[in-house]
Amino acid sequence: MPMFRPLTMKHVLLQVITEDLPQVCLVLAEERLFQPDFRPYLDDSFTTIPGIHFRELYHQARSRLDKINHHIDLSEQIQLSQVHVISETELEQTTDWLGQVWERCSAFEEAFRRFSEEEQMITQLEQALANFSQLNIDLGLLQGERMFLDIRVGMVPTSNLEQLKEAARIAHYLLFDYLQHDDVAHLVVIGPKGEREQEMGSVLDTAGFRALPIPPELHDEPDEVRSQLRQRRSTLARDKSQTQGEMERCADELREPLEQARGTLAMAAPYVQVETAARSSGHLSILCGWIPARDLKRARAALQRSLDHPFGIEARDPTAKERALVPSHMPANVLMAPFATLVKQYGIPRYGEVDPTALFAITFLAMFGMMFGDIGHGITIALVAWLARRKLKSFTPFAIGAGLSAILFGLLYGSIFGYEHVIDAVWIPPLSDPIYMLSVALAWGIGFLLMISAICIYNRFVQGDIGKAVFDTNGLVSTLLYLSLLYGLYSIYRDGEFGIIAAIISGLSLLILFLYKMTRASGPMSERLLVALIETFESLTGYISNTLSFLRVAAFSLNHVALAIAVFTLAEMIESTHGHMLMVIFGNLFILVLEGAIVTIQALRLEYYEGFSRFYSGDGIEFEPLRLPIGDRP
Amino acid sequence: MPAATAHTYLKTRASLMAKQLFDQQQLNELLESSLDSLQQRFDLTELTKDRDDRSALNRAAERALIGTLLYELAVLLRPLDGASRDILIHWTRKFELFNLKALIRGKGQNLSADQIKHNLFPLPALISLPHDRLLEAEGILELLRLLEQGPYADIARQARQVYEEHNEPFSLDAAIDHSYYTSLLRRIRRAAPEEGRSLSTLMGTLIDHQNLIWLLRYRFNYGLAPSETYYLLVPFGRRLHRERLKALVELDGLEQVLAALPGRLAQAMRGINNLVDAEQALEQETIDQARHCLRYSRSAVTRSLAYLALREIDLKKLYAILQGKVLNLDPDLIRKAARVPVPG
Repeated sequence: MPMFRPLTMKHVLLQVITEDLPQVCLVLAEERLFQPDFRPYLDDSFTTIPGIHFRELYHQARSRLDKINHHIDLSEQIQLSQVHVISETELEQTTDWLGQVWERCSAFEEAFRRFSEEEQMITQLEQALANFSQLNIDLGLLQGERMFLDIRVGMVPTSNLEQLKEAARIAHYLLFDYLQHDDVAHLVVIGPKGEREQEMGSVLDTAGFRALPIPPELHDEPDEVRSQLRQRRSTLARDKSQTQGEMERCADELREPLEQARGTLAMAAPYVQVETAARSSGHLSILCGWIPARDLKRARAALQRSLDHPFGIEARDPTAKERALVPSHMPANVLMAPFATLVKQYGIPRYGEVDPTALFAITFLAMFGMMFGDIGHGITIALVAWLARRKLKSFTPFAIGAGLSAILFGLLYGSIFGYEHVIDAVWIPPLSDPIYMLSVALAWGIGFLLMISAICIYNRFVQGDIGKAVFDTNGLVSTLLYLSLLYGLYSIYRDGEFGIIAAIISGLSLLILFLYKMTRASGPMSERLLVALIETFESLTGYISNTLSFLRVAAFSLNHVALAIAVFTLAEMIESTHGHMLMVIFGNLFILVLEGAIVTIQALRLEYYEGFSRFYSGDGIEFEPLRLPIGDRP
Repeated sequence: MPAATAHTYLKTRASLMAKQLFDQQQLNELLESSLDSLQQRFDLTELTKDRDDRSALNRAAERALIGTLLYELAVLLRPLDGASRDILIHWTRKFELFNLKALIRGKGQNLSADQIKHNLFPLPALISLPHDRLLEAEGILELLRLLEQGPYADIARQARQVYEEHNEPFSLDAAIDHSYYTSLLRRIRRAAPEEGRSLSTLMGTLIDHQNLIWLLRYRFNYGLAPSETYYLLVPFGRRLHRERLKALVELDGLEQVLAALPGRLAQAMRGINNLVDAEQALEQETIDQARHCLRYSRSAVTRSLAYLALREIDLKKLYAILQGKVLNLDPDLIRKAARVPVPG
């Protein structure tokens, strides 16, 4: 059943001539069928890890390109005109060139930083000007060199002000702060000229003091100073826009070569990605990894086509010890892709375990349809999904599938936009027999849980954990307990008593389960007894509560009809035809959006909680083959 | 966890952890142990095996010891939330500040990313800067631009000034330390009053000791002027408050400063006439005060902080011993570096 399991993998050991190694990586990346195995290679003769310098160059170039890309937009897709092996020299040249480009970009960044600083300085000067023009002091005193006084006007961060005041006092200086604006304090520092000037200068430097040049005309002609500041601001804006223009021209000039450099890096990437999976000894190199068994021939043929020198591939099955390290490859087609994504949200199946994607797709759609069966709503969902396919992308089949399932169950229930009497139900209108619907949901739940238990038992056998497969919760014994309980309960319903056979099987299964839990628990006897007792009881109640959980499938199908009745009742209360119509339309929209979302969540919950959590460890390793990174932005 | 339960849990945790702290006898045993037995005892063998390079071994040991401290911090953090949690997290930021200094200094001296990376402590994301991104910066200006966008914008601006005006780099270090302590104090003031009082006492004591070391170092080793020295101190100590610090920075000799210290500090410094001995005496004073808080404080957070401070001192001593043994230094020199008093 390849559809329900990750593909069979082979561990391969490629032996190649060292100079062919980059070519091998490139070919394997183009074919997307090889995942490197980074475990240390045990043969002492292959001690050298090739391409260390190449890797350093690549990472440096990559980092530069990423930074440049913040300033220069590149196209989404990487177009590779001619795929070829990137030599170390070519990569070095690309790295150096990117270094030069980044230097240019960095200079622009620095220039913009200075513009912003200058802008802040002008703002502070304007504030100071506004403040000074209201002061009744002779500003002439603050300007120029004084014979006996050291006067400084400037700014410090407000957080440094208090400490600076105290320090100034120690240096026999006076400090006046006359304005605080944007976490910056404006101040005048005055002290005697002489030996302490340098000391005060050092303190001010440490406090982040920036001098504020006071124009001589400030007191007499404040308007002129204002106009100078305006002019300074406009010059700044002009310089900024000029630099912006230069930067855009630079971007236009560099875009094409940058895209070529990005292509070079994409072609260099596969050799970088193999890291320690490749080892060399002189002219001979080896490369270890995983290839799906079905693709081995393709890999060999591709290498034969492109390599001039001979090479060897040794393939073997994974050993029992390394099963946990084998990647799980579950190729999903377009229809299954969204379901595979949702499964991966929970986790990746271990190699050999059942891939739940197909089962998930079928059971999810079935439960969604059961809970949301309505032809009209189904058509709407499918239609909207189709129209929004560009936005939904790979999730389009998921939404269309949900719509189709709703249509199918709508036909079975005879429901269209909540109207129950327009068409005849092929099966049953849910509200006509709620008990029957609940029984069907219960039967579905029992079937679902038995299927899940069977998968769980299979997975444990595959992992070689026979003890757990037979005796643990969700194993053979507890499934037997579940079946005997079901039979006993059915006997009570039919004959009024649990039945001796069901009781014996249930009791025995419980006892085995309890004893198994005892052997697994650790600690003193009393603690083990308690733990085993609680865990056995939990397994028992778990089956019951999980089964009852599926009653929600019927409950939501009834809820769907009940909501429609509520909408129609409200519509009936509105006398005007338009009002009636509007009520029906908005009521249906309400059902579609609100109930649609709730039903989706409930179906997912049943899948994840009642299903996956029982059989699916989700701690497998996803198959991530070497590939040319051409679909991503840099 | 309700606050009362959380604090009872924390006090119990701190008391249990306190059993790991070294006494004089244990420190002497450590000094006499071989490098191998120390590596085994502190689970450093895995970390340091196959490393012939002494500096690599040193780094590995240092990282492991900081790792131990951060692990214990994580245990103490578990029951805490709000201001108390914030205080303990901020306390560990000192390690990130070591990294920040190493990054700025390394880029300023045009060291390669690998050279700088060797000097950085790997820290949990909670307190860590994005090292990889910062290391990718090509040059000091790019690094400072990156830092200007984050929580250390003020430090970055000051570093720019140091870089552009070729000022003394230690003023940057001092600014970083200053900013660390003022932020920690700000957080302590936000704590609940019953926690705040007790925390302020402990922090005040730690700051007093730090201030005194800085004061002696800046004034008499670096020869800074009184005003410059005062500006670099944190005037929120317990006994060395603002006015006292102003008076102390004006004094002209180490002995004069030590003689002018108030009460208990003066007692601890009696007979001392050099910075090394002063540092050792202050460390002992810190240990005594922190041990007192650890045993008697009514505040669980104060006990935790006291434990962390003591554990840090212990691990530094252990690191000094390990380092001395790696370098095959004279046992007396190791004892001096680890600041372990001679028995008897």
